[in-house]
Amino acid sequence: MTDSILASLFTSAMNISGGQRFLLMLPLCLSVAIVYKTTRCESLREVPVAALVLWVTILLGMYTVGFGLWAIFKLLV
Amino acid sequence: MTKQDLSPALRASLAGFLAWLVPGLGHIYLGYRARGLIFLVTITATFWSGVAIGGVAGTVNRHQRRLWFVAQIGAGGQTLAAAALTDRVLPTLPLARKSDRRLDNQMRRSDDLTNRYLGDWSAAEVGVHYTGVAGLLNLLVIIDAISRADPSNGRRKQNGQLPQGGS
Repeated sequence: MTDSILASLFTSAMNISGGQRFLLMLPLCLSVAIVYKTTRCESLREVPVAALVLWVTILLGMYTVGFGLWAIFKLLV
Repeated sequence: MTKQDLSPALRASLAGFLAWLVPGLGHIYLGYRARGLIFLVTITATFWSGVAIGGVAGTVNRHQRRLWFVAQIGAGGQTLAAAALTDRVLPTLPLARKSDRRLDNQMRRSDDLTNRYLGDWSAAEVGVHYTGVAGLLNLLVIIDAISRADPSNGRRKQNGQLPQGGS
């Protein structure tokens, strides 16, 4: 039974609404920030703060670009 | 033969291969245990979250999403496992057998069972991005493992650091 629950977890797709797609960017950007900063920082103690700063920077940058493109699209339509 | 007995090139190749096979294993092999565990947990969680969001057949599918599969294969063993799972799931889908390359969204939505496994557009796209990014992140980890395996590496030479367990 555990096998079938695990199998269905990875074989069945989730239903995602438009707003949830924006939220799903948060963990993806966090993992990018953690991995990148773990390769770059000489001491692991620096990683949490550096990753947090990078995470916020990526999110602000991407949401700004996204909002800008959406605004341009709305102006042109 | 210990890992110190291996030539730098062989040690770097082995670390790179292990990092490809299991994210972080190359670092663990070189003595960077904590770093390796961070890579293992982060990349594995990202990859399998993507598979769970988009469903394995709609996410890791080397027939329908060839270019994404090139990015995903960076995650090595996990991608091979997911691709094997896709090969097991795909034949059970009525519309997704040999002609799945020509399967368009309209056809997918016409069949509830197929749609359940391949997912709607947004779920599959999010899943593909998660798994693709996980594969590309592991490429970065592989390069980092190879550079750390070489004792003449500029970064460690400059700081006088050699691999110590736990960092």
